Amino acid sequence: MSWWRSIRTITIYWALFLYISGVAFAVDFATDVQPVLEQHCFSCHGPEKQKSGFRLDLRAAALRGGNEGPAIVPGKPDVSPLITYINLARDDDKAMPPKGSGLSKSEIATLTEWISEGSKWPDEHAGKDERLSHWSLQPLSPRRDLAESNRTPVDFFIEKKLDSTGYSPPLYPVRSGTQQGTVATKLSLRADRRTLIRRLSFDLHGLPPAREKVAEFVNDPDPNAYRKLVDEMLASPYFGERFARHWLDIAHYADTHGFERDKRRPVAWRYRDYVIDAFNQDKPYDRFIREQIAGDVLYPQDEAATIATGFLAAGPWDFVGHVETKSPLLKRAARALDLDDMTTQVMTATLGMTVNCARCHDHKLDPVSQEEYYQLTAVFAGVTREERVTSDELFQKYEKEKAELIKRRNRIAHRTGRLRGEGIDLADIVGGGNGHGTGTYGNGIDPRNAVVQTRKFGPLGNVKVNTFAKSKFHFVDGVFVVDGKGGETDIQLNSAGTKIRGIPATGGRAWDHIRNGPLASQHSTELGGIDFAKDGHSLLGIHANAGITFDLNAIRDASGERVLRFTSQVGYFGSPGDNRADVWIYIDGERVKNFTHLTRADGLKPVDISLPESARFLTLFATDGGNGYGNDQIGFGDPRLFPDVPREISEAEKAELSRLQDEANQIDKKVAGMGTPPKFYGVVPLQDMPEVRLQRRGDPESEAGEALSPGALSALAMLEPDLGGPETSAADRRKALAEWITDAKNPLTARVIVNRVWYWLFGQGIVDTPGDFGLGGGRPSHPELLDWLATELIAQNWSLKSLIRTILSSDTYCQTSRYESDHPGIAFDAGNRYLWRQNPARIEAEALRDSVLLVSGKLNPERGGPGFEDFTYKEAYAPEYTYITADEPNLWRRSIYRYIVRTTPSAFLTTLDCPDPANITPKRNITTTPLQSLALMNNEFMLKQAAYFAERVRSEAGDLPEAQVTRAFQHALCRSPEQNELDAAVTFVGREGLFAFCRALFNANEFVYVD
Amino acid sequence: MDQRLLNRRNFLAEAGGGFGGLALTSLLAHGSQAKADFQPAAKRVIQIFCSGGLSHVDTFDYKPELERRAGTPFDPDGSLQFFASKPGNCQPGFWKFRQHGECGRWMSDLLPKLATCVDDMAFIYSMQSKTALHGPGNFQMNTGQTLPGFPSMGAWVTYGLGSECDNLPAFVVLPDVRGLPPGGIINWGAGFLPAEHQATTLDTSDPGQPVADLFPPPGFEAISRQRDKSSLAFLDSLNRLHQQKRSGNSELEARIKAYEMAARLQLSAPEVTDIRGETPVTKKLYDIDHPDTGPFGRQCLLARRLVERGVRFVQIYCGAENTTAEKIRPNWDSHEDLPRDHGYWGAVLDTGASALLKDLKGRGMLDDTLVICTSEFGRQPAAQGKQAKGRDHNGGAFTAWLAGGGIKPGISYGATDELGFKAVDKVVHSYELHATALHLLGLNHEKLSWYHNGLEQRLTGFEGKGVIDELVA
Repeated sequence: MSWWRSIRTITIYWALFLYISGVAFAVDFATDVQPVLEQHCFSCHGPEKQKSGFRLDLRAAALRGGNEGPAIVPGKPDVSPLITYINLARDDDKAMPPKGSGLSKSEIATLTEWISEGSKWPDEHAGKDERLSHWSLQPLSPRRDLAESNRTPVDFFIEKKLDSTGYSPPLYPVRSGTQQGTVATKLSLRADRRTLIRRLSFDLHGLPPAREKVAEFVNDPDPNAYRKLVDEMLASPYFGERFARHWLDIAHYADTHGFERDKRRPVAWRYRDYVIDAFNQDKPYDRFIREQIAGDVLYPQDEAATIATGFLAAGPWDFVGHVETKSPLLKRAARALDLDDMTTQVMTATLGMTVNCARCHDHKLDPVSQEEYYQLTAVFAGVTREERVTSDELFQKYEKEKAELIKRRNRIAHRTGRLRGEGIDLADIVGGGNGHGTGTYGNGIDPRNAVVQTRKFGPLGNVKVNTFAKSKFHFVDGVFVVDGKGGETDIQLNSAGTKIRGIPATGGRAWDHIRNGPLASQHSTELGGIDFAKDGHSLLGIHANAGITFDLNAIRDASGERVLRFTSQVGYFGSPGDNRADVWIYIDGERVKNFTHLTRADGLKPVDISLPESARFLTLFATDGGNGYGNDQIGFGDPRLFPDVPREISEAEKAELSRLQDEANQIDKKVAGMGTPPKFYGVVPLQDMPEVRLQRRGDPESEAGEALSPGALSALAMLEPDLGGPETSAADRRKALAEWITDAKNPLTARVIVNRVWYWLFGQGIVDTPGDFGLGGGRPSHPELLDWLATELIAQNWSLKSLIRTILSSDTYCQTSRYESDHPGIAFDAGNRYLWRQNPARIEAEALRDSVLLVSGKLNPERGGPGFEDFTYKEAYAPEYTYITADEPNLWRRSIYRYIVRTTPSAFLTTLDCPDPANITPKRNITTTPLQSLALMNNEFMLKQAAYFAERVRSEAGDLPEAQVTRAFQHALCRSPEQNELDAAVTFVGREGLFAFCRALFNANEFVYVD
Repeated sequence: MDQRLLNRRNFLAEAGGGFGGLALTSLLAHGSQAKADFQPAAKRVIQIFCSGGLSHVDTFDYKPELERRAGTPFDPDGSLQFFASKPGNCQPGFWKFRQHGECGRWMSDLLPKLATCVDDMAFIYSMQSKTALHGPGNFQMNTGQTLPGFPSMGAWVTYGLGSECDNLPAFVVLPDVRGLPPGGIINWGAGFLPAEHQATTLDTSDPGQPVADLFPPPGFEAISRQRDKSSLAFLDSLNRLHQQKRSGNSELEARIKAYEMAARLQLSAPEVTDIRGETPVTKKLYDIDHPDTGPFGRQCLLARRLVERGVRFVQIYCGAENTTAEKIRPNWDSHEDLPRDHGYWGAVLDTGASALLKDLKGRGMLDDTLVICTSEFGRQPAAQGKQAKGRDHNGGAFTAWLAGGGIKPGISYGATDELGFKAVDKVVHSYELHATALHLLGLNHEKLSWYHNGLEQRLTGFEGKGVIDELVA
């Protein structure tokens, strides 16, 4: 110990002595300790700032410690970092407080003694966390009886607020019969019926109303016409499709993983359909939430409730970080982000609490501690994302049925092939079949050893060139990899030992297998205008430098045909450019055909080779053209063996053929109707429940403290945050959280959804941060209304349709959105927070696309099932998605049924403000840019649709421009043109044509804005 | 007004009555009201991104100790596990290192042309990434986060400064002609920022359509420029009639203006991508006709043309997505044959980047154009693979370089350990690099924020990392 420190120690003891002997018998927290802390520490570790996540003004927080762990160890000042830091030399970087002259010796002594005595901190000084009195954390206000008011509850609260804020509206002009007058009303005037039906239709369906529907409503004499219309629209399945889009924004749903290896999630759509159905069935909101968090546990008999848990897995997931890397450190980092994603999604979606901010330190604004954050992640720590069967029973049934159907279908194919003399498909034989469709598509034979696998391979290791491997398939003799070494070496082609020479040198390498179908990472299955993956075509994929020999005798024995012909269309299916390869065809060691330096630009090369009865083996192989084997994807399109003499078909055989064809069609239909297997993308339990610890600074490599039990937020004082102990199962943890969130006493759950619905209908929430009800979020413009609606929702058994009906039946919703630039409301409240008018709305990207389709007459109303893919897909290490113009009926479905790719979002929709599904999007951005104008003017989809729209108008309205213009206005804008519009439009149509006019309508402000 | 921290743009948005008001002032992200926080040294940025993981020990970061230990086990205890492998032996740089320029900077023979520019460049030897995975690594170097969905630096800059010109977008990306980088197009997305801040991708392969949907596609040739004009005039009249009855709604006017600006872009975009007017000397400098290095050279030349015309932020990718199906890896990710793959990509980067620096300097533009070159991470000093010709990912160390735009030339900052395994002196993450770039553009990185999901989000994170003063001239 240095002399300096000795002196200091002596001083401390001296000070202590003074305290103990004369001044005080024990340190008193309120009079001795707290003033010291307040003077020296609170400015950085108090209510305003919590540096290092540490605060000393609240007992609970002070004793818990900060990012570095506990600072106060009761009874042990010598190991309490607080004491260490205040004792450090003033020039030490870590000395506390960092500025000024530090604590006096007696102050240090006081704190040291206080900790020695057990750091007693009396209840009355524990401190009150002011944040706990934040409005959203308080219980819902008791339901107010509004029976005495003659206004709807919504109007009552809106008008009350307008009154109390001193708003003086203008006198609005009204007409009654022939009388002109004015009316004093707080709200703006009611919008006309045509405006109302268009507004309702976009709000509830995301589509414009049909022309006939507009006319019917506008002319309906029934005073209840509006109410009837609301009911009708809520009952339409379009409603669920519209509202599901809102919810999926919050679930950040997509159909691929995201990150580098953006793989497909082919069955994720089942969750999307679940959400649509839930809205359409008006599933009680509390049940909707319970199902999405723990439906599989709470309602195991209900298949839909299990699919609902797709919610937990809907966000992005890093395949490379979770699976591919060998580094455990990188895996832990990926897992931490994974749990963060699930936890954040659940808490933001249901409670509007941004718990993600407490991952690295206590929440800066909200009363959420870092420990609580990890207790929340402990709820999900026992599950991981994976494809999962919706129910075992259904899955087994599905598999069995499908296998049965395919077996029958194969038998028919075999028989019809024989009857028709269709020939024997060599690609099917490579797939393990008999040449008549019994093989497995995609199967491959390894050219090194003839092992059969479906899985795709990259470069093959341990290749032994020019080594013949016998195949176990009856019709395949064997396989090999070629390196002719400049013609200097023997290559064995078949099991009879036939050898050849004269083949050029190759790199001796091989890629993937010889396949029934395309190869791994194949550039394309299309060549010369034929897609060999479609329409009954077949493709034998063979990559340089692999070869295969077919046993013609075995094939003859099975088919009964003796004299055969081999026909095919050969080509280079790899990417264009300088890439090239050679193709070789041999019969029993005799070269009968070869193509050298074949490139993609050469297109298809026909092959037609006669195989006499004496021919025993047919050999096909590809070599790399001397420039490396990369990309050398050779394909034999429609490789078939035909009988050399066409056979006659008898009448009986014709009848049989026709019967078999019918049967085959029926089976095909059945198989297609079965769809993808009953699986969805969700979460499955891990083998063991891992322990969860607090991670300092959010770093998985800096775990600290005891294993944490699952827990919710203590900030909601009316609820018990405890969700179980360390032994609680993964299933029970989720169940407990689901119940905690949907407890009727939880004030956030109802407030948050009521506010979201309000935002979806008005374009602005009562709280303008729908995803953040914490201290950093907005304050409610109408707190009483928010609570009234929340209690009403619960009273109506959490029925969202009933809530929507309540809001839509208000005058507030029905008022006009139009206002002049001199309206006094602008000076009073430009942002319209108090709703002195309705908000005009720009329709979202998806609604715009859907509206275009509806108006052009091309919308395909097909509901549910796998998403439509308006892109081409190329399998690769990082799969490639390339967008195409949606110009066929199956791509004209509503945008909610789009297959959503994370790494490659649709540029057209992104430009129109469609959000990135990597983000939880509680509120969409709305921008106006020239790129949007270009997209709507020139995108091929828009132009094609404008042409269809013109076609439709012409067929409905005939050739008269007046009639055409009127009809087009009615479809696109839900009204007839005014005279001046009609005149201008007719002139325009006369000059530029109907197509140009339809294109202009799709670009009109009125088309994309809703009044 | 609520307690939410107000930043400048949020304030503008609210003062103008919601996002509509904001949109009115920033069509091509043309923020006339957006201003720098202080006098900037740089007016624009060109960023070169070498996707796949550029090996610092084979290019910029000379490690004599690695040469001394060549062939000896890198990790004798066998305790390390890299991304895809256990470490092999110490493997010195595959190219010889020499000193260059007045500053005497070491650089390997892989980059002979760039070596002649070292006196204009500043090197950060102590870069680190939070990850050694390509996707998250690309995201971090572009957005400051390893997760997808965050705004890229170009989007932040556009949001902070708006555009200098009103007939070209403020933020343009030139992807590698071989494809997209790991993580895809969201590497240059706007994240949660309004879509107007996203990058516009220039497609140089199609001279008729350099920007998506700039003109009608094939099959619609009947829509001539003249007819388009007539259609736009008619649309304008329709919109004006509609607007008359809704005079309070300023968004409608903004949308009318957007169509006028679109028409301007139709003139300016084809002009900027048409490089026929460049001199033979310039074309030769960028070597634009070379089959391998030409495409990247062309992108560099295009970047110069773009910033010349007032584009604020240009990002050029040198490297695409991974796959081993190609003869040469389509990016820098050299796991099995680094001499082959870095050999190829080194020549590509060397030609384009050196040409860009020389051309900018020759035109007097280097002074106020900041050039940044980075990768998502570095590579290991240990060999990988049976033939010991590859290197695995290294999130612990890599090199970035900057030039022009207020950067102190001819200096270096930070250091790795003696083998180049880990950055040890003055460790730099994306945060400091981004903070420095923003600073040079006149933006205070702590004030450039956007409220999202409970936080005032920033490009530069919350770890208190800031501007690297030593790099600033």
